[in-house]
Amino acid sequence: MASDFDDLVQEGRVHRTVYTDEAIFSREQQKVFGETWVYLAHASEITEPNSFVARKMGLRSVIVTRDKEHKVHVLLNRCTHRGATVCREKKGDKTPFFTCPYHGWTFKNTGECAAIPHQDAYGEGFKKSSFNLKQIPYVSEYRGFILATLNPEKGKKGIKDHLRSAAGRIDEWIDHNGGDHKAIRISGAQQYTVHANWKCLYDNAGDGYHPEFSHQSLLQMTQQRYGAGMDLDYFAGGIDSTPMYSQDLGNGHTFLDQRPCMYEASAFDRQRPQPGREAIVEQLTKEVGEDKAREYFEMATGAGMNLNIFPNLLFIGNQLQVITPLSVGLSDMTWYSTSIDNVPAAVNTLRLRTQEDFTAFGEPDDTANFEACFKGMHEREIDWIDISRHLHTGVDKTDDNGIVTSVISSDIHMRAYYAEWKKLMQSNDESSLG
Amino acid sequence: MASKNNSIADSYYLNDAFYDRLMALNESWKMEAPAISPITLEDKQACESLIFTEARLADDLRLEQWLDCYSDQCVYWIPSSYPVVDPRQEITLEFHDKRRLQDRVARIRTGVAYSMVPVIRTRHVLGNIEYRQGVDKEVRARASFIIDALFDGKHRILSGWIGYSLVSEQNEWKIAVKQINLIDADCLQENNTFFL
Repeated sequence: MASDFDDLVQEGRVHRTVYTDEAIFSREQQKVFGETWVYLAHASEITEPNSFVARKMGLRSVIVTRDKEHKVHVLLNRCTHRGATVCREKKGDKTPFFTCPYHGWTFKNTGECAAIPHQDAYGEGFKKSSFNLKQIPYVSEYRGFILATLNPEKGKKGIKDHLRSAAGRIDEWIDHNGGDHKAIRISGAQQYTVHANWKCLYDNAGDGYHPEFSHQSLLQMTQQRYGAGMDLDYFAGGIDSTPMYSQDLGNGHTFLDQRPCMYEASAFDRQRPQPGREAIVEQLTKEVGEDKAREYFEMATGAGMNLNIFPNLLFIGNQLQVITPLSVGLSDMTWYSTSIDNVPAAVNTLRLRTQEDFTAFGEPDDTANFEACFKGMHEREIDWIDISRHLHTGVDKTDDNGIVTSVISSDIHMRAYYAEWKKLMQSNDESSLG
Repeated sequence: MASKNNSIADSYYLNDAFYDRLMALNESWKMEAPAISPITLEDKQACESLIFTEARLADDLRLEQWLDCYSDQCVYWIPSSYPVVDPRQEITLEFHDKRRLQDRVARIRTGVAYSMVPVIRTRHVLGNIEYRQGVDKEVRARASFIIDALFDGKHRILSGWIGYSLVSEQNEWKIAVKQINLIDADCLQENNTFFL
């Protein structure tokens, strides 16, 4: 298997079957969506003891719970008795126990099997504890972001070791959003199906080459209606001579920085007008004064960071995009919105109306192209997907921490994540549920 | 941000009072007010005509005329949650004032909106329309809908119900609020870049 992956992921190109093959998809569920750290939930979604959210870890259905001691558990949502789905709600609170609707087996939110109706019929040697809900053994949180892994080696090293310098970029994103990670909360989600392999979505996450073309409708409409100097128009033209850059942060994580252009002056002034913009500007300026209001307006505008935590967590603007594979050719793309607790209410209204912008004007055209790529990957006569942009131009620079910086239109994002993907797919690590 | 095009409306009207009105309307869609309310037959006919015309113009992609069905102080809202949450608290699937509706039409009109290439054909079917008299000359209506959307040769069905707040402006009825409640608002959505 290991040498196969050397054939499939080569320098500057990837074989089409990496996207279309059922056996590879199946292996990814163990190696990628099991044996590396996978993002599952934000701490703000389960703040109270005995609250939970139902999530997917790859294809696995899991319940992310906070027990009465505030400890987070990731439980496999599969009754240890006959396999029925134990929890059928998407979220909830005041739930110290989950009872399987089929035969009434009851589990604590720590996973412990608490009660089996008419247990005596199982005989004297029966041990209830051997029927605890299975759980993902390693669960960790970095400043509100909850991730889990099955892998003992990665689990023991911890989340910071895995994130490496991406942790610093998460800190910068938090700083843009007021600096206090405990004040940042998820405020709803926009959920979409994409008819493509999950990696067609992930490929785009660090692609600084496509905006000028994929986002023509957004760019042309904005130019027509609002003139030059607006949102994303710095992507039109000689982008590689702009101060924007892309980076390989290690362990498959990557970063694309729009801030040098987007925040060169006011990013809020570049933003296409949000519904109710003038009403909020007037109200906030009156409430807090012009200087403080300006600060809030920039905070309501996207962070200008595309930070990608391999394999499924993307920071885009002020949103979190989470990619979940549903089958080899179907993916769940969920955009979680964020709000901030300790700011005037109007700031969050403005943030929400801003976060609805790109999903209306940008993402639909991206999705159309992801789906078109996936169609093309089924053409049997053409084997390769090209990822060689700026591979041979000598523009990359490596710093003392091993971070490789490239120009904005480079394919460094894809090369970096595929190096990690290949390493994971080739590994013989043993891991199991706790 | 200085508007470069003088025909683009500003958006002072979408203030907290307007949001409060949206939440009051949302409550009123339960239609618990008396079933026989003093809406005139003439108003009812005019409102029904507007509701059907707006749907037909969207289906026929006569989007400039479609925009004219809306008041200059309108909101087009597709909640992402079920039940509905205040749009000041949570993200929506879509929440547009008149200006952003114009932006959406202008995007489609560029011809390079790839989510609409080939164009998505739709047919709205509206039914179960109930009317209530609103505040002053406002009429409220609630209708069930089914939309068949055809993209790239494949059919897809969307359904749910719509709450309309209709107002008479210079003797012409206009849509002030269209709240589109998909039955799967909190589930995975497909390409909905047409107008619902």
